[in-house]
This record gives sequence, C-alpha cells and structure tokens, in this order.
Amino acid sequence: MSEYSIIGKPTTNVDGAAKVSGEAVYTFDMTLPNMLYGKLLRSPHPHARIISIDTSEAEKLPGVKAVITGKDTPGGRYGLWRRFPELCDQEVLATTKVRFIGDPVAAVAAVSEAIAENALDFINVEYELLPAVFEPLDAIKDDAPLVHDDCDNNINNTRHIEWGDVDEGFKNSDYIREDRFIYSSQHPAPTEVHNSLASYDKGNGRLTVWSSTQSPYYLQLGLADGLKMREGDIRVIKPHVGGGFGGKNSTMPDSVNAAVLSMKTGRPVKIVFNREEEFTCTEHRTAMHLAVKIGLKKDGTIMAKEFKLITDGGAYTALGATTLYLTGTYATFPYKIPSYRYDGVRTYTNKMWATSVRNFGGTEAIYASETQLDRAAHDLGIDPIEIRRKNAMTPGYEAPGQYNVGSCGLLPSIDKVEERIKEKWTDLSKDEGVGFTLFAYMCGGIFNWIDTPYAFSGAMVKVNIDGTVDLFTQGSDIGQGTNTVNVMICAEELGIGIEDIRLHPADTATTPVDLGAWASRETMMNGNAVKDAASNVKKKLIEVARMKLGENIVYDLEVKDKRIFLALRPERGFSYYDIVKDAIKLNDGEPILGVGHYTPHRKGMVSPAWSFGSMAIRVKVDRETGLVEVKDVIVAHDCGQPINPLGVRGQVEGSVHLGLGWGLCEDLPTDNGLILNPSFADYKIFRTRDMPQIELHEVPTYEPGGPFGAKESAEGAVAPTSPAIANAIYNVTGATFDSNVLKPEKVLKAIREKEGKEN
Amino acid sequence: MKKELKFVVNGNPYDIWVEPNTLLVQVLRDELGLRGTHRACDSGTCCACTVNLDGMAVKSCSILALQANGREILTIEGMANGAELHPIQQAFIDNWAFQCGFCTSGQIMASNALLKENPNPTREEVQLQMDGHLCRCTGYNMINEAIRDAAGRLQAQKSQEKTK
Amino acid sequence: MKNIIFDFEYLAPKTLEEALTLLSQYDEEECKVIAGGQSLLILMRQRLITPEYLIDIKGISDLDYIKFDEKEGLKIGALTTHRAIEKSPVIQKEFSVLSEMEQNLSNVETRNWGTIGGDIAHADPCGDPAVVLIALNAKIKMTGSSGERTVDAEDFTLDYFETALHHDELLTEIQVPTLPPNTGVKFTKFSQIVGDLGLASVAMLITLDENKETCSDVRIALGGVAIAPMRAKKAEDMLKGKKISDALLAEAGQVASEETSPTTDVQASEEYRRDLIKVLVKRVGNEALARAKKA
Repeated sequence: MSEYSIIGKPTTNVDGAAKVSGEAVYTFDMTLPNMLYGKLLRSPHPHARIISIDTSEAEKLPGVKAVITGKDTPGGRYGLWRRFPELCDQEVLATTKVRFIGDPVAAVAAVSEAIAENALDFINVEYELLPAVFEPLDAIKDDAPLVHDDCDNNINNTRHIEWGDVDEGFKNSDYIREDRFIYSSQHPAPTEVHNSLASYDKGNGRLTVWSSTQSPYYLQLGLADGLKMREGDIRVIKPHVGGGFGGKNSTMPDSVNAAVLSMKTGRPVKIVFNREEEFTCTEHRTAMHLAVKIGLKKDGTIMAKEFKLITDGGAYTALGATTLYLTGTYATFPYKIPSYRYDGVRTYTNKMWATSVRNFGGTEAIYASETQLDRAAHDLGIDPIEIRRKNAMTPGYEAPGQYNVGSCGLLPSIDKVEERIKEKWTDLSKDEGVGFTLFAYMCGGIFNWIDTPYAFSGAMVKVNIDGTVDLFTQGSDIGQGTNTVNVMICAEELGIGIEDIRLHPADTATTPVDLGAWASRETMMNGNAVKDAASNVKKKLIEVARMKLGENIVYDLEVKDKRIFLALRPERGFSYYDIVKDAIKLNDGEPILGVGHYTPHRKGMVSPAWSFGSMAIRVKVDRETGLVEVKDVIVAHDCGQPINPLGVRGQVEGSVHLGLGWGLCEDLPTDNGLILNPSFADYKIFRTRDMPQIELHEVPTYEPGGPFGAKESAEGAVAPTSPAIANAIYNVTGATFDSNVLKPEKVLKAIREKEGKEN
Repeated sequence: MKKELKFVVNGNPYDIWVEPNTLLVQVLRDELGLRGTHRACDSGTCCACTVNLDGMAVKSCSILALQANGREILTIEGMANGAELHPIQQAFIDNWAFQCGFCTSGQIMASNALLKENPNPTREEVQLQMDGHLCRCTGYNMINEAIRDAAGRLQAQKSQEKTK
Repeated sequence: MKNIIFDFEYLAPKTLEEALTLLSQYDEEECKVIAGGQSLLILMRQRLITPEYLIDIKGISDLDYIKFDEKEGLKIGALTTHRAIEKSPVIQKEFSVLSEMEQNLSNVETRNWGTIGGDIAHADPCGDPAVVLIALNAKIKMTGSSGERTVDAEDFTLDYFETALHHDELLTEIQVPTLPPNTGVKFTKFSQIVGDLGLASVAMLITLDENKETCSDVRIALGGVAIAPMRAKKAEDMLKGKKISDALLAEAGQVASEETSPTTDVQASEEYRRDLIKVLVKRVGNEALARAKKA
C-alpha cells in the first residue's frame, strides 16, 4: 500500500551489520568471568530404574567444581502445559527412572569443557533395566510397560473436535475413501545448538540465564517451576539465536542444570550441547499415525471428514500435547468441511520426547489431507486444482465453535499458481510431473496452556528529548526478522524513521511479556502490541500538537515523515522533534512512555487470523533409481499486508527448503530407541545445489485484526511440499505413498510395485 | 606439551603456545577472542567455521592449530575496512542473505575466497563452490544472489580504482 | 561441540626421510600420520582414534606435485590437495575424469586442505578417488625405510580403513598411465543430495579398437558396495572383445551387481545398492563409450 512510508517496503535487517561482521552475540559466543563449563551424563538405556549413582570419583578430579544428581536439585517439576499439573512431568535430573536414551541423570561443572567431559566417565550409575516401549500402537496396549508409572496405557493426552453431523455427511456422500498415513519425525537441526549460561547472584539469590531460546518467558516459567523460585527472581535474556524452528520452546536440560550448578558453585556455568546431543536429546517433530476418512459428492464437494490420530510423544510432555490440538485443526485446512470429527491420542514412549517443528501440526495433517484429496480427485475424474477450488475457504468462513477465518486470499492464490503452471511448465517430459497443494497457517494460538495471567504480548515505547525512541518488547527474533518488523511497525505508527528507534528485545527483567516465537505469532501478536504501545505515544504527541494548533477534536491529526499535521491541511503542523520536546516539558520532564499489549479476543478458539496459499512443484522422477529431483516451485502466498517483502521472501524460501527436506530426505530412524543418524553426515539436508529456484507471488489481502493488516508469513509453506511431491510422483508413475520422506529406495520400490500390479 | 604457533590473523602477527590437540577454531575463538567464526557440527559437514587460510576457504574446525604455523588467516572480523563494511558484507545485508545469522560468517568467508578466484561467477558456479555450507534459514537462493551482487560491486570498485 | 580432549605429542617432520625415521621409532598402536586431517580429525574428536604421537606430514612440500609426461603418464604427489587436482589444467585435459571426480568430492573447504594421499590411505569404502584410480589402472607408490614399492590401485585398499601400507611406510605417489588411444573414462556416484557421499559409485574405462567398434579393454571399478573399492572382473569379461550396446551394458550391470557384497545401513539396503550398480554400470558405460568414440 503506497500510503505507508515504511510498511511494505523492502527493509534491510536492523541486526544486519552485527550479523555480517561476526559481532552479533549468540549464547554460544558468551563467556563470563570465573565461568565454569557444564556437561550432562545421560542414560544409555531407554528405560531403567536408577539404583544408585556414585559421583565420588568424579568429584575428586582436578578442575571439577561440582557434580550433581537428582537429589541435589530443588525437586520442582516443570512443563509447558502448566494448567494441567499432571502434564508437568519433567525434572531437572532423573531421580527414580530414566525414560529414554539420553535422559540426563547427572551434571558436572569444571574449569574446562574437556575436564567436564572427561569427568562423566568417572560417574558410576547402577541401573535396573526395565522393558521399554517404542511404538505408540504398542504403548497403548494393556500389557505395555508404563513410561510414567501413574499414566495408564501411556496415554499422555487426548483431544476431540467435532462439528456438524459426520455420519449424516457420509450418508450423503457419493464417494468415500479411507487412507492411513505415517508421518515420520524430522529434526529442526538449527545451526546453533542448544546452550545456556546461568549466573547465580550469591548476594540476592537471583538468577540470570542467557539461553538460545525461542521464548524467554516460557524459559523463565520453566526455571521457576523446576527450581521452585519466584519468576521475578529469574531473569532470562535471549541473545541472538542461531535458529529454533520449533525445537527451542521448552525448558531444556542445559538451562536448568546450568542454573543448579551455578547455584551450587557460586560461579557462572555454561552448558553447550554437542551436535550428537542436539540430534538425539532435543525436541523433534512428533511422528504419528493418521487415519483419514473423507466423503465427497461426485462433483467433488466435501461432505464429511473423520480423522483419527495417534502420536508418538516420547518420554515427556513439554509442548507435545499441543500436537493433538493443532493437527486435529489443520486436518480441516484450508477447506470448508460441513461436518468433522476428530480424535487424537498422544502416547508416551521410551524415546526422546517429541513436540514441534516448523508448521507444527500442519505439516503432518496437510500431508495426509492433500495426498488423499488427489487420490479422490483422480477417482472422481476431477482436476486436482478444480477440486481444491471448489472446496476452498473464503473470507469470513467459520468452522462452527472452533475458529474463524478473517481475510483469505486462497482463491486468488489458486488462480495465480494455476495461471503460472499453464504459462511456464509447457514442456514436461514423460518423467516429469506436477503436484499442486494448498496451505494455511495460524497467526499464533489463542490457547493458554501455559496458564499465564499476562497479556499475550506487551511492549513499551519511551521517547527521549531528541526524538529517539527506545522500544522494549520480549518478542523473540530467532532469525525470522521479528526485530526488523517491530522497528518498522513502531516507526510507521509514530511517523518516524527506522534510524530513530533502538530496540531492546527479549529480556524478562526489562521488557513486558511476550509469549515467544512459536506458531508464527510474532508479527500478529507482538506486532500488535508494539503498534499499541506506539499508538499510545502517538496519542500523547497528537494531544500536544492539537493544543498548539488550537483545533477542535473533530479534526484529525496524522503522523508521517517526522511531522504531526492536520489530515485535511497537511501544511499546518509541526516537526515530530519539536512536539516531543514540548510533550516532555509538559510532562514534568519525564520521557514520553507508551505501554501497549495484545491478547486475542472474540477470535474463536484457535487463532486470530490465518495465512493462506497455493504451491505447485515440478519434479523429475528417475524411474530406474527412484531419485526425485525438484525442478521448480511456484508459490502464491497471502500474508495479509506484507510488512517487509524481503523478510517474507526469506521466510518462504526457508520454509520451502525445510518442506522439501521433510518430503524427500530428512528423517530420524531409530532402533530400540536409539537415533541412528545423529550427525549432518547422516541426517541429510538439502544443500544449495539441491534447491530449485522459487517463484513467489504475493496475494495481498488486508487482515483488520493484524498490525497494518499483516498476518504471519510463510510458516504455512512448509506443509504443502511433501504432499505436492507425492502427488507429482503419483502423476508421473501412478505410485502412491502412505508416508513422507520419499527417499530414492522407497520411491523405486513403489514404482516397481505399481508396475508389478499393472503387469 | 605446548608447541609454538606463529601466524598472522587479520593482518596481526601472533606468537603463542598451544597444546597440539587444539583445533584452529579453538585458537581463533578462545585464545584470540575472535568469536565471529561459529561452530555448528562435529563432523566437518556444515562449513559454519570457514575462514580463509592463505586465501583459501578452509574449515577451521578441521585443521589443527599447529598446521596454521607460518600461515595467514583471515576471519570475518578482518573483512570490514575499519567502520566500512566489505562489499560482500553489504551485499548480504541488501539481499537479505541471512536470517538467524549463525552460518553467515562462514558463508561470507567462503564467498570472499570464491570471488577472488572467480570474479564473475554464474549461479551454478556459486552453487558448486558454496555447496558445503549448511543453512537452515534461507534456502540458499538469496545467498547466491547476494554473492553475485557482491561480484558486481567488487568489479565496480575495481573499475573505480583503475580510473583514479 | 566436540574437541580433541586427549593429549598427544605432535611431530612435524620437514622431509620424507624425517617422517620415515619417526614412523619406524613408534609402534603402530602408538602413532598416526596426519596429512590434511579432513577425515582423521573428526575421528579424533569422537575419540575413535587416539594416538599418543601424531606425525604431521602436511608440511613435506616435496610430496606436493603434479607431473605429466606423454610416455610416463601422470604422477601425483601424495600431498597434492584435492583442489589442486580439480583445478590442474593438465589433469583437466588429459584425465578429466579425475578433476570431475574431485569437483564433486565433499566441498571446496575440504578439498583445499585435504590431500589425495590422505584420502586413499584413509581407505573409506565410499572414497571416490580410489574407485577412479582403479579404473585408470593406476599404481600406488609406497616408501618405507627399506625402500619403495608399488602396488596396483585395486590391491591397495584391503578392508574398511585398512590398506596395503606397512606401518613404517608412507604413500608417496600416485601413478596413472597415459590413456591408450580411443579410450574414454567416466565416474558417477549416486546420492540423493548432490555431491554427497555416494550410496554406490562406478568408474569405467573403455578402450575401443582402431575402428572404434569393438571394446579392446574395459575396467569397471565399483565403490561403496564391498569392504573396499573393487573391480567387477566378470562384468568386464562380458564386454571385452565385444561391440558394446545398451543391452550388453545392462547385462554387464546385472553381472557386476552380483559380484558385489554391499551391506544394509541406515542410508540404504544392500538390495538397493545392487540395483544402483546395475543402473550405474549401464549409464557410466554409455558415457565412457561416447568419450572413447570421441577420443
């Protein structure tokens, strides 16, 4: 929109100079004077009772300053689903049982990393091995070993969602099909491993923790619960973060153990995971079994959908219970489904606990939905694009009792991609095919399992005498560009420049709470809070300007380009800088403060708004090796009013990269609970030569509930890649897949089976 | 037993003593305090730790510090000219070629070596030479564009210097 | 992050003689030779290899060379980097298969410091250079305190990470004979990620007779499908003396796959590796044939 000075214009990263100079400080780079290095001793068994732990030999080693086990910790239990205490099932260190290979049982602090690591070999743990369970379908059986002794059938959590009359819907369907899928796990694999630096103040008993986290607030809560301390006595600071992708929402053993070790030794303690720990002992995507039944009329109209889900939750809850809620919701996106019934179960198993990775819940559900829909379209003789167009959500759609869809650019996005396919991909060889899929994603969640009394996002603006602004907010930039978006929003709202604003982000002591960077909430929720805070300052400045102009209240004043002026007579106004000086003088000499917040209200149960889009992928299938090459990608994306087009493009490209990996080559095979490929050599990630170019089209809409009409950007674009690839392979070879990660061997097998069936 | 390491880093000569088991990246980060070079893997497969050694792009995690004896190292801290960013750094900013920024130092150092060897690379040539660099955020294409943009800026800079 | 947390003595000989003297002073279990260290350092950081004495030969500049002579062929010093081989004009011209292989080996950063001698001496069954050298009928020269000897490339790698080198010997030179007229050589490895370690690889050398009709010599080398890079001799016998056709190559591929003994691991099954060999022999054979015809 040309009416904006800053919003919608390509803007470089406010942290850019620091990041390209190596000066941006990540927790990974931090040290403090007198600092110790911590390491964790982890269980080699998937399930065992701890009989005894002898740390005496390790404690004697030169350079070792502390060795702790469960009994040395404050004994608090923690988790993210704090509304349900039984789901706060984590301890700082295992006290009675270990529940997965890698479950920490002891921690060492020493004067060097090498000494700390070496000391682990001197801790003797006696275990009584217990039978273990690894598969959710086994875990729910009556005779399955219990991962948590007080949890029957290992059922951690369940969820039911229903609207309309599903049985009636199926009765009225001309065509019904049922499909089963397995969506397997991937790892977020951020480049910066999990690491934390804790410093305990011996004088006042307060703790400061720097951590590579997506949510300083969530970490603060987890630490408070685990350490049985007041939240306010814990300060969490998020430096720059080298990626999170969903794996850094929870309170992880590096932070809580660094804290306890610091409290014990009276010195700062830093714990850094190595890459093997990162792969095996940090959060990854929840694998799941999905059973989907869909009923359609013969013209392709969807009548009913029934969805059952059982997920592999691993050993603890953390954010994992949220999977059920989100997957069950995304299974209906982005279509109008008149009747829907969903039941989801999350089980405990003896593996590293699983939660979220980018596009939490959507990637899994949309894989199943979009793959199934193509099969239905094929059987009904309907074009796959047409069947989607027919059922696509439209602006204002409401899923009864569940969620509202505000702005929705889905139909124009379908038109755009279809048009481009016809223009661009006119030369498909016999080994090439196209897959077309839709996507949608939330702008943060309305749920409050964290049980916070705070507004979901807060911000504070302080204007100084020279017009410079200090913006305080806990919004977490983990690479997605939140810092830049926040500064842009503040600048636009106040009518000033990016260069006038200094951002103070992500420090629980100095910034109002924001729930963190997850479910793509920052632009919508944090952006709105920033805008709110800035608008409260704007009001004060406008009051002063109005007084000076002597105009009645009916006449509007605006701010733009560092001026405050009459909307109808722009030449009558003042410089922003002059008004600021006046405002401070009129305010007893105090700087101008504006506080703002945002919490979604009357927006349904799930999310205040949704982004949408369409994607087409062109692949080439090597029928002799099963190798699938991704040749080209076309995306049309509705993120409302894009705040920063550079950032939006970056997010889309990154999402597609992850999505292609999750469709083709990234997986975490396990054997008796042991992850078999815990390194970048064996966990295969697309490199630059594997990436196609991505053609991106913005489908601008305006979301009234979003800051300047903005919604989240691009997290939705992770989901459509896997099913688009599967659908494209299907179009070339007729082979179908009931799981993602289409490695060449799997594709070749499916092609041969299909050829075998035909012969 | 410590051994002597004499080398030049970012134009500054150093004469220090290190344990033989020290990796080059440890000397740079821990001894010299140059923390702009990051580490992201333990298998030599991500290139986040890339620096320039005698002008070549190398992984500092996969070289013993003592093997750098007598050599010249350039790290990310040595790229800017005082307060003026190097054209590659500026091109990365202008092309949104980083998001979290953790792999960026390695990308820039590899680009530096690449552009010295091949001042006008095609998209494919950039892909070929940047293939070792793992990035989880960008999907690589915007980095590729930044490097080719930097190539243009460096050429322009050269022409300007010639006409002076 | 993992560092090398055990201590060792570091020795950096400046000449080959010094290095050989040091080798003979220490037992096999005590010491290890490091060149570029691109493979070795990772293993040391994992504490899988923990020598008490590390002999760093990277500084022996006498072993860093590329020499070509029409009659003698190509001689590459063991400490020549992968990058130097990739970029060498004479290798690009006379033995393009070597520079093509190097271009796809790991990444530039590894190739700038890692050496071809170090790679072959490390004896990873997936290693690309060894496979290509077997197809090229190369010889590996080893030097010890008692003198020099050479073995055929296909006899150099014995098992996983085990070679024909005696403890007191160093690999010093790789000798590649000049290609006979009407010869084409091609190498391809298969991986899902471009340039990654191959699940299987094939290098083929095809020499045609003066009429460019019949195959007078063929060498088929396979990688990643046995304990060491190997020759598919039965498959070679099928092609020698024949006019090579698509159908014949397909048959040869089948036979070659039966000569392999691949394993199943987290990346692929043994059956799939055999399938790959079938396909690769056919495709690589066709390309080597085309090159032979053009030569």
